[in-house]
Amino acid sequence: MGQGKMKNIAKQSTVDDATTNAASPLAEQEKMSFILVVTRNGHMTEPVMNYAINVADHLKYGILAVHINTLPFFSDGGRREVLFAAAMQESAVVLRAKAGAKGVLVEHLGESGKIGKVVQRLCHSGKKIEFVVIDQGIRREEVTSQAPVPVFSVISIHAGTNQINKTTSYKTMKIGELFMSTTSKKRHVKNCFLFGALTAGVYAAVFTNQDLVMTYFTKGGLYALLPVAVVFAVSYVHGNFTSAFWSALGIEGSKITTVSQPADVRQTVPAADAVRKDSRPRAQVSV
Amino acid sequence: MHGPGNEIIQFIDLNTFTIIFLFLVGFVGGLVSGFIGSGGAFVLTPAMMSLGVPGTVAVASNMCHKFPKALVGSIKRYKYGQVDIKLGLIMGVFAELGVQVGIVLQRHILEIWGQAGSNLYVSFVFVFVLVVVGAYVMSDAMKMKHTVGNATSLTLAKRLQKIELWPMLTFKTANLRISMWFLIPVALATGMLAATIAVGGFIGVPGLMYIIGATSIVASATELVIAFVMGLGGTLIWAYYGTVDIRLTLLILAGSLFGVQLGAIGTTYVKEYMIKYVMATIMLIVAVSRFFAMPKYLNALHVTSFADGNVTLMTQISFGVMCLALLVGASIILVSLFKARSLEQAIAVRG
Repeated sequence: MGQGKMKNIAKQSTVDDATTNAASPLAEQEKMSFILVVTRNGHMTEPVMNYAINVADHLKYGILAVHINTLPFFSDGGRREVLFAAAMQESAVVLRAKAGAKGVLVEHLGESGKIGKVVQRLCHSGKKIEFVVIDQGIRREEVTSQAPVPVFSVISIHAGTNQINKTTSYKTMKIGELFMSTTSKKRHVKNCFLFGALTAGVYAAVFTNQDLVMTYFTKGGLYALLPVAVVFAVSYVHGNFTSAFWSALGIEGSKITTVSQPADVRQTVPAADAVRKDSRPRAQVSV
Repeated sequence: MHGPGNEIIQFIDLNTFTIIFLFLVGFVGGLVSGFIGSGGAFVLTPAMMSLGVPGTVAVASNMCHKFPKALVGSIKRYKYGQVDIKLGLIMGVFAELGVQVGIVLQRHILEIWGQAGSNLYVSFVFVFVLVVVGAYVMSDAMKMKHTVGNATSLTLAKRLQKIELWPMLTFKTANLRISMWFLIPVALATGMLAATIAVGGFIGVPGLMYIIGATSIVASATELVIAFVMGLGGTLIWAYYGTVDIRLTLLILAGSLFGVQLGAIGTTYVKEYMIKYVMATIMLIVAVSRFFAMPKYLNALHVTSFADGNVTLMTQISFGVMCLALLVGASIILVSLFKARSLEQAIAVRG
């Protein structure tokens, strides 16, 4: 069902683009070369848009922008999907405006599934894809293993901070699952209050009924499960509360020692690309 | 037939002092546990006993608070990539066996010698283990601080790892390969100690470091998994006999979960030897404390006849020294955590 909705939006946007670019004859479009720009986020990042438009303008190619929903069956009652589709539409408007200024042809597609497979399918579809540009949050290996054409990623520098824009997969995956724009600090404070209240509830329940609790909890036998169940519940609510509490205060693990741990942070793809060897075959001239 | 659930067990009344004391002791215990993988409980059992809680109830309530704390701590440290789950689970299963043996032993002592005998036994095991292991870990931490690279104390572990005895087990996070036959005794001893004094970690963590060959960071983190497995099993048994005082458990847990998170965070900032150093320091100070507590139980068993005034003084000294151990341990952890943290922030600002 979710997939169907996404496809409809995709079709609509494709039609929109086709109508806005009605000037280019269909037959010409068939022969035209395209740059496949892939993102797994609702919003495509601006540096990627700018890069794709500049190159397309220079080479006289078109742009095929694909938004891939990698979690089509995420069980939140379709909330993520609606947000994803809305973000995609916004992103499409921005890209179209930017491309329109330079007269570059843009087509949009909404897809869902594995990134590598989608890229492979599109490369083998009717359109002539010359190369692929991937947005942040996509692992290069995931695409290069499936794509029959060269794959590029874009390194960008954040204005002001002078920091290389790392892959945002870590943050977006955590936040994006439910809250597409909530900052993590706010989330910690919110969790702190939520789990704090739950913890207070459990403690209040036990200590206001002390006598009753002590009578049953110390009976032994099968009643042994009572204290165990209570401490499990406490470890969940109070554990989350204390974790959020320290995080909200800004006390978190060292970034230096934990940065290399796979559980925490993914490899920064753009940085790896910067030193990637050029393995294309080349002609050598010996005199 | 006298089970621990019969008339022997008495539960204390709670007052404001008790509640605040348990919360604070829980916090420091949790801080220590999160940092060195175990050891919160060794502070907590005597702390509860100082309040007049019978040894069995203290151990049972302590164990009941230990496994949720270990669970929360190990999840936190798993996120930092420090936990070897496979090693923890295998050790945990055998440690559980050790716990069963330990519980049977403890019940026998309670039946034969009564409450005073049980208290004396717990105190004696405490002093013995704390002094012997604590001294060894301390000397190793000192050596490690002054030598660059690997400590020389790992030679035993390396020799054992070379012995190919079926079945050989490989542990990826701990980065070692060793025969299961060397894991089992360490795990059994860990479990037996845990059942007796609710702190298996004083055998478990040094065992993992010096016999199995894991680093102190991985050893302390993996010990949390072992503590969870055997803590859960042990709690079910103690609760079966109705010895768990859930009120004490919850009060300690309230503080200790704050502590365990902070302790786990601390491990990401400090050097390897710091974990050993903190562990040994606390162990040795608490050993002194427990030593002063023994005359009270010896008098009760009519083994010695110290004057009442002297016994009271010694009990007070015991309590004071234990508080000192808490404060020293917590201070070292907090100071090294915040020092390293501000240093890292300063580097980040400059960089």
